[in-house]
Amino acid sequence: MVALSLPAAAAVAVFGSLYGAAARGFLGVPLTLVSSLIVYSGALQFAIVALLGAGATTLPLLLTAGVLNLRHLVLGAALRSRLESGPLRRALLGFFLVDETFGFAIAAGNAAEPRAVGAATERTLLYSGLTLYVAWLVGTVVGVLGGGLAAVEGLAGALFPVLFIGLAALAVTRRSHVVRAVAAALLTAGVALLLPDLRLLAPVVAGVLVALPGGDR
Amino acid sequence: MSLLVLVTLALITYASRAAAVVLLPRPSPRFETILSRIPAPIFASLATATLLGDGGALASGPTLAAAAGALLLSPARALLPCLIGGAAGYAVGVLLG
Repeated sequence: MVALSLPAAAAVAVFGSLYGAAARGFLGVPLTLVSSLIVYSGALQFAIVALLGAGATTLPLLLTAGVLNLRHLVLGAALRSRLESGPLRRALLGFFLVDETFGFAIAAGNAAEPRAVGAATERTLLYSGLTLYVAWLVGTVVGVLGGGLAAVEGLAGALFPVLFIGLAALAVTRRSHVVRAVAAALLTAGVALLLPDLRLLAPVVAGVLVALPGGDR
Repeated sequence: MSLLVLVTLALITYASRAAAVVLLPRPSPRFETILSRIPAPIFASLATATLLGDGGALASGPTLAAAAGALLLSPARALLPCLIGGAAGYAVGVLLG
């Protein structure tokens, strides 16, 4: 599963370079590098650049961070039952919890023997998290240095839906999961069309809403 | 933007990631059942979100073709076939575009 995170890492590096190139003009080189080092969130960092470009002050930046990061609470809760180590190690693993690493960790846990679910989940979260983190940092440095990878942006952009479809397929363990996944996709599309301002929150809200009703078959 | 604001943003982000995995007790079996239903819908939703831009605009032809290729091989329930299907779909999309 960690090896399968390499294509995702390549795409993350491309977007890191785009971020580095875009953020350099607003944050300067040092803060651009520090932002990728300590924030490590593509969605939030691109949003910060867009907000700064629109002349936003500190409060909108903080509110945006709060809203965009809400999804981590859901991802963390869904992962919690699979993590068996102590709070300190879980606190370390928490830094690497992003959409993609969550997917790899869930998939690794699903593929493991019942007694090895915790170890497989934690190992995958750590190693795929490190891989994607390094890719994000390297991409940012490349972008800051002016070596943007815009030529392959299209290919990198295509990887994310493919990756998420693959992770959805891996996460399906019952027929009812397929129905819920389709319902969540339709709900997300509806929100994107009707309430575009909530588009970034839609995936997690839809995921939770369709998980609540009914039983499993 | 100052370093202080940046550090605050980083702290908000980290706190959101660590809060549930560090502070939550292991969930009850009932809650765990509900949580186990969440990943597939979230990934399907994320895939949808990456295919729709601002105002519901669709992604490029090759990206849609890549998603279709991955979807076609998703019944295999393995990541590698989906990646291969996505790559093939992307190539077809580029050729047709």
